[in-house]
Amino acid sequence: MQATKASSIHLPRLNPVALITLAAAVLIGAPVAIAIFTGVIGGGGDAWMHIVSTQLAGYTLTTLGVIALTATFILLFAVPTAWFVSLNEFPGRGIFEWALILPLAAPGYVLAYAWADVADVAGPIQSAFRDVTGLSARDYWFPTVYSIPGLSFVMASALFPYAYLTARAAFSNLSLCTMEAARSLGASPRRLFLQVALPAARPAIFAGLALALMETAADYGAASYLGVQTLSVGIFRAWHSFSEPAVAARLAVLLILIAFGLQFIERVSRGRGGIQQTATRWRTPRRRPLGRAAGWAVTLGCALVLTLSFIIPVTRLIWVSVETGIGQGQIVRPFFNSLVLALAGSAAAFVLALAITVGARQNRFSQFIGRFAAGAGYAAPGIVLALGALFILSWTGFSVAGPAALIFLVWIYASRFTAAGAEPLSAAFSRAPASLGNAARSLGASRLQRLTRVDLPVAMSGASAAAIILFVETLKELPATLMLRPFNWDTLAVQAFAYASDERLAAATLPSLLITAAGLGPVVLLSLQLTRAGQSRAAG
Amino acid sequence: MKHFASVGLAALLVACSGSDDAAGANDSSPAANEEIAGADDTPAVEPGSDGTLNIYSARHYDSDKAMYDAFSDETGIRVRYREAGANQLLETMRAEGENSPADLIIASDAGALWRFTDAGLTQALPQGEFETRIPERLLEPGRQWVGLARRVRGVAYDPERISADQVDQWQDLADPALEGEICVRSSTNIYNLSLMAEMVEKWGAEAAQHWADGVVANMARSPQGGDTDQVEAVAAGLCSVAITNHYYWVRMLQSGSDSAREAADATEISFPSFGDGEGIHVNITGVALAANAQNRDEAIQFIEFLLSPEGQQRLVSETKEIPVIEGVSWPDGLDAIPDFEDSETPLDTFGERQAEAQRIYDEAGWN
Repeated sequence: MQATKASSIHLPRLNPVALITLAAAVLIGAPVAIAIFTGVIGGGGDAWMHIVSTQLAGYTLTTLGVIALTATFILLFAVPTAWFVSLNEFPGRGIFEWALILPLAAPGYVLAYAWADVADVAGPIQSAFRDVTGLSARDYWFPTVYSIPGLSFVMASALFPYAYLTARAAFSNLSLCTMEAARSLGASPRRLFLQVALPAARPAIFAGLALALMETAADYGAASYLGVQTLSVGIFRAWHSFSEPAVAARLAVLLILIAFGLQFIERVSRGRGGIQQTATRWRTPRRRPLGRAAGWAVTLGCALVLTLSFIIPVTRLIWVSVETGIGQGQIVRPFFNSLVLALAGSAAAFVLALAITVGARQNRFSQFIGRFAAGAGYAAPGIVLALGALFILSWTGFSVAGPAALIFLVWIYASRFTAAGAEPLSAAFSRAPASLGNAARSLGASRLQRLTRVDLPVAMSGASAAAIILFVETLKELPATLMLRPFNWDTLAVQAFAYASDERLAAATLPSLLITAAGLGPVVLLSLQLTRAGQSRAAG
Repeated sequence: MKHFASVGLAALLVACSGSDDAAGANDSSPAANEEIAGADDTPAVEPGSDGTLNIYSARHYDSDKAMYDAFSDETGIRVRYREAGANQLLETMRAEGENSPADLIIASDAGALWRFTDAGLTQALPQGEFETRIPERLLEPGRQWVGLARRVRGVAYDPERISADQVDQWQDLADPALEGEICVRSSTNIYNLSLMAEMVEKWGAEAAQHWADGVVANMARSPQGGDTDQVEAVAAGLCSVAITNHYYWVRMLQSGSDSAREAADATEISFPSFGDGEGIHVNITGVALAANAQNRDEAIQFIEFLLSPEGQQRLVSETKEIPVIEGVSWPDGLDAIPDFEDSETPLDTFGERQAEAQRIYDEAGWN
């Protein structure tokens, strides 16, 4: 967040922390670097020329369109709800405060299956509409979910909690002094929001938004199911129809460039200086009750966001599952497999995220290398990382079986998701006042002592948030799991995708619901923890 | 202390990244030890072998797992499976090279099987009893794979708006008379690619391109969803003709969902030909023996099982595919499909012409 004092961008001193960071960065970056390297030297021949001349512009524009529209939806869903939940009292506030994080538990592809089923021409909404009006499907226009806006809506539904979380944290952390000062100067609530709170919260909101948008750009499951030709889908197509993994890797370079663009915008939006907090009176400003009408209007707005993003799709899946009486398939083993893989994957990603976050505090070189590697991994679709892992496999001469497969898979999870853990971790670390670290140093504490006795305790809440986010992300991961899991190791995500891609939506509902259920526990935990943290700050 | 542990773990992870692979090597060795020498031309080994069979399958049906269990119960051979898309499996095998534990490859498309062969990942099947039971066309000329079940691409249509003779040849779908009437999924889908591959083979690239252009002009909406969604769109009145594989339609007929069943009931299915006397487009689910299969005897034993009456019934019970051997009763619901005659196009063509098929679709703007 803040400008690092050690500005030695030239050769870093090779202290142990820097070495660990460097090693972590190599571990995170290797699969994507190898996939891209192979793509660039591998060439693409006719298939590459064909894609460049007929598809590339379309893929790129579609991806940019989806990103722009998803960003709009996310901001609409996340910022107003976070604002009202943090600073106002209205009916149901206590519920919305944590419930608005729930969509994080549902993977984008699951929401896509559900919305496609609900909103399609044969779905319940349009069927009811035709029954009531007597019109035929050709006589009216209805927005289709199989479109750029449809995909954007689905991705925003699944990912807006990232921005909601960061926005809520920022609004809750607004300096009481600043808010009271603005209020005492007669600022209206609207001005308070637009001219005081929003500018202060902008970097945090953008950080959440950037994560969500990188995830959107790399999404394959929802985009391919909804038939939107994004770069990610194009990567799969290059590989699938033209048998050209090298061309797929080339397309991935473009995707990664777009993601770095997003990251760059996010960094620039933070400004160069950042804010180092000195005031000790950091507490949640007292929540203002809204008027009766305004209060209920806000309740309605929050309920609408929650209903559209989570309640409707999940209820539909439950309905389909009950209606068709599906549930006899093997589900216990995949559930268990999913939990084991998610635990292992998130643990590895957490350790790497910690390594690069700690390293980032050492010097700019470590910061740059760590962030660059994590960003590249996060921006690359799982398919590309899995291809990278396969390239490594082919050099080393091992097979995708047993412990080797597990280790490769956990490695890919870590490579893919470390950035999602590093962001909350670095935010948490930056909350530790520099004065505290300086005081510890003046008392003769070693670097390690400062880390374990000062920084980590302060960063504990952020660290658990990072761990939970990593767990949920890993639980939902699909393409790499599909390619690298060991024999007889189906996960819920693999099952859900396999059924849905074979058009057995009814059979796909149970694993889909179970992924959501398995993610709900941690997400509720995260939500409660953040709420409690807010309350204790408010009380303190 | 906990914090020390996590930092220590990071260091350990870094340090161990090189030695991870050694563990993998050990794991793959049990399969490697199963090597059976001189298995060439041996039809089957005696039941009761305690070997293991490693299957890479592009299918994912609960009935497949039940089938593996039945085979294990019958023979004592342990079955291990990896299920993923055909492309994922192919890349995995390519990367594993000679160390691949795969013994058998099962894929739901002849084009996909061809790609495994083209990549050098299959080997010729030894002679076996199975070939006396199947039509000659289903055994690849080089014996690189054998068909296990048939799957037909056809059209479901609204009988109130369209007559059967308007959709009895694929050429009809490009007729301007059907403007705004066709619903179909993306061209990236393997079923559309294989269909186009056969068109190129039968009619030549130019006529096939003309057909794709015509169908795109007749589409009621841009390609989206799966085959089932197209049939539902016909039932909802959005279009009158949906391109679909037969088993999606049959599964809808028997679905637990009222709306799916009603949609199939409201439509008829037709299997268009490529022209008079040219037959219809029939694809397969097939199986190939992996190039480096370590458990050949077990693999052949499993193929024999798949092409036995019991294996056939298990294979198609849930999928609603069509059995390939005579005398096996067809799964429930298949009495609703019309009689058909397979075209004579060699099935390898579906793979050989796949990239060309995608190019033609791309040129036509069929996303």
